[in-house]
Amino acid sequence: MFELVDATKRYGPLVALAPLSLTITAGERLALMGPSGSGKTTLLHLLAGVIQPDEGRVAIAGRSTETLRPGRDLARLVGVMAQGFDLVPSLAVVHNVLAGRLGEWGIGRSLLSLVFPRELPLAQAALNRVGVGTKLYERTARLSGGEQQRVALARLLVQQPRAILADEPVSSVDPARAEDLLTLLVEVAAEDGRTLIASMHAVPLALRYFSRVIALRHGHLVFDRATTAVTEADLTALYDLRQEEARDVR
Amino acid sequence: MTSAKASPAPLGGGPPAGHVPIRGRGLLTLLLLGALTWSLTTVPWGEPLVHPGGLTVLGEMLVAALHPTVSAEFLGIALAASWRTVAYATAGVSLAILLAFPAGVLASGVLVRHPVLRALTSGASRALLGVLRAIHELVWALLFVAAIGLSPFAAVLALALPYAGILGRILAEILEDVPPGPLAALRAAGAREWQVLLYGRLPQAFPNMVSYALYRYECGIRSATIMSFVGLGGLGYQIQISLDDLRFREVWTFVYCLVVLVVLVDLWSGVIRRRLLA
Amino acid sequence: MSANPLKVEARGDRLALDAGRTPVASSEPGLPQRSLALRASGWLLVALVVASWVFVVSEPSAHVGDLISRETLDHGRDFLQQLAGVGEARPAYRDPGQWRQAARLAYRTLAMSVLAIGFATIGTLLTVMAGARPVLDEGRPWPRTLLFGLTRAAWIFSRAVPELVWALLIIFVFSPGILAGALALGLHNFGVLGRLCAEVVENLDRRPIRAVRSAGAGRGQTLLYAVLPSALPAFLTFVLYRWEVVIRTTIVVGFVSAAGLGREFRLALSFFHYSDVTLLVLVYVLLVFAVDATSVGLRRLAR
Repeated sequence: MFELVDATKRYGPLVALAPLSLTITAGERLALMGPSGSGKTTLLHLLAGVIQPDEGRVAIAGRSTETLRPGRDLARLVGVMAQGFDLVPSLAVVHNVLAGRLGEWGIGRSLLSLVFPRELPLAQAALNRVGVGTKLYERTARLSGGEQQRVALARLLVQQPRAILADEPVSSVDPARAEDLLTLLVEVAAEDGRTLIASMHAVPLALRYFSRVIALRHGHLVFDRATTAVTEADLTALYDLRQEEARDVR
Repeated sequence: MTSAKASPAPLGGGPPAGHVPIRGRGLLTLLLLGALTWSLTTVPWGEPLVHPGGLTVLGEMLVAALHPTVSAEFLGIALAASWRTVAYATAGVSLAILLAFPAGVLASGVLVRHPVLRALTSGASRALLGVLRAIHELVWALLFVAAIGLSPFAAVLALALPYAGILGRILAEILEDVPPGPLAALRAAGAREWQVLLYGRLPQAFPNMVSYALYRYECGIRSATIMSFVGLGGLGYQIQISLDDLRFREVWTFVYCLVVLVVLVDLWSGVIRRRLLA
Repeated sequence: MSANPLKVEARGDRLALDAGRTPVASSEPGLPQRSLALRASGWLLVALVVASWVFVVSEPSAHVGDLISRETLDHGRDFLQQLAGVGEARPAYRDPGQWRQAARLAYRTLAMSVLAIGFATIGTLLTVMAGARPVLDEGRPWPRTLLFGLTRAAWIFSRAVPELVWALLIIFVFSPGILAGALALGLHNFGVLGRLCAEVVENLDRRPIRAVRSAGAGRGQTLLYAVLPSALPAFLTFVLYRWEVVIRTTIVVGFVSAAGLGREFRLALSFFHYSDVTLLVLVYVLLVFAVDATSVGLRRLAR
């Protein structure tokens, strides 16, 4: 599904991602881990085709991201879920969900739909699936953080991408809701055999819900293995940075 | 937009076909469109809206816009007129600040502790400021010219009064919005309200106040320009004279001078604002 | 320009600035000395103020003494008495017929202001995307850059020229009346609104916009589903705020475009019908207050 060959990304003198090669097959559930500033988001953006590598190449479903301009083709392949900020607060929920169909719609239909929503059953079904079916005409700004995440997921259901990329999907949700949301995310991805890639801050959640873990630090790969094979030592190696820092302060 | 707070859609069932409840912003959209339509109906569309030959004049004007008069002698006149406009604006706005200061402080009610007394003084100052700014500067100018004759003071006062009304209200708002922490500290140190004003509120309000006054100064230049309508000199006066003689090329020279003035003041105040608020 | 304009609730005139305002706590006492630019600006301002006052006072027609002379005081008292209609059998403001006439004029004045702000809004909506710095970090071909520059220049130009001067120019082409007045008011406010709304667009949260784009939306669709819905509430606030300004200005544009309250006001002054002037100013102030109240109500409805 995804293939990286020596993909590198720099921002000025800062190496956001050192040359990285990896293959992600369709249907995998993959968690990206690492301290903040480790390159998780950069990697996610590369996989989403939002940014291009400075060196090496990134391919989605066999096509280089350079040839995939933002628009319908890319939207059919990958759907992106950012940290809960990807909805337009002043729009009704239904329009935010149907925004997932924009790649398939022409401008006339898009305009009409803002007044008389098109393909309503689709939006309704997606909202029902994620458990906020009653909020169809609510203004998005009035929803709680968790509900907004669900609406963002409903948009992805409508968009029907082959892979879902989620950037810290549960960071802005309280811990009790986080599990519900992750369960939902994993189920939704599994139903149609979609690939799921998420950057995760909470280690236990990452280990419980994902099948493979890629760990980064300072833009370098620390380890890449199946969740079941991750050891305590791996995690210490990944996060001992914090202890070093703590020592420095002392 | 059509979005609005809505009745819950039936769970899982067929949604209400194409039904979007109209409330709040939807209603507002309709109201605004209705208002525009109504205002269009008040235009007498049946009568000739463009002068016979109006389009020819328009063409002449546009051609003249590309060839403004630029002789040295004429530019001297334009420069003098620009200076006069700037001088009226500067004098007017500076007087407005002097007037706005006490009125704004009173209107904010921060000096008076007693609730009834505060309601009275602040209410009265607010009403006064409201009337001052409700009346357009040119209307003030007409009234002043009628009262004290054709004197530059008429222009300065006519500018100063409505601008004092606006600046006073803004000063009152800014004074009220000042972060309360430092004020409480001053009070704890035994400062009385007028000392709190001097040492706490005004220093904190200063950058925003300067920044707003500068924005008003830009408006003041435009306002000073139109003082010509009551017979006072400046760029507007020159524009009128040149228009009366249909010398469009000269008109454009003056208009360009005005644009340059406004842009200069805008840029300058932008620089000050950025440094003050950074 | 950092602060989020959406955060700024309607506060009348202060809006114009708030788009670029940071929270008040910016002046910490005892902070490093002001930059050179600030000190130079301060001295320049002082010099300007002094020079301006010297210029104003030294003009031949300016007689400081006159301001408080016996003659001026008498004249002022007469003027006030005439405004109050002293000595008239029936001052205009006590004549119901005159009130009805003034109400009709107020109605036309109101129509002119709505038409003007309508023109300005339509113009702004048509140009705001061309004149705002791009919200999507995608390539910008040179025609787009050219269009950007042209739009900005048009805004600056129409904003710099006061309504009244626009009106003077416009009545050479259009017949005096509501339309001419509304065009003049609309032209000036087009420039003002364009600049304010472009700032709104530039300060929008980019994340929802990028998200809609990554969901496969084209440029036009992104505009419809992300940019405009986010920006419209703030646009509306600015439009209503400018409407409050426009209603104050309609009266003076009426002097030139011969429409509404402004024309009657000018006529009454020319013919020394001072109690008519009082009535017209009363009606005008009432109209201004009514528009302010309506604008506040409409903003509440938008929330």
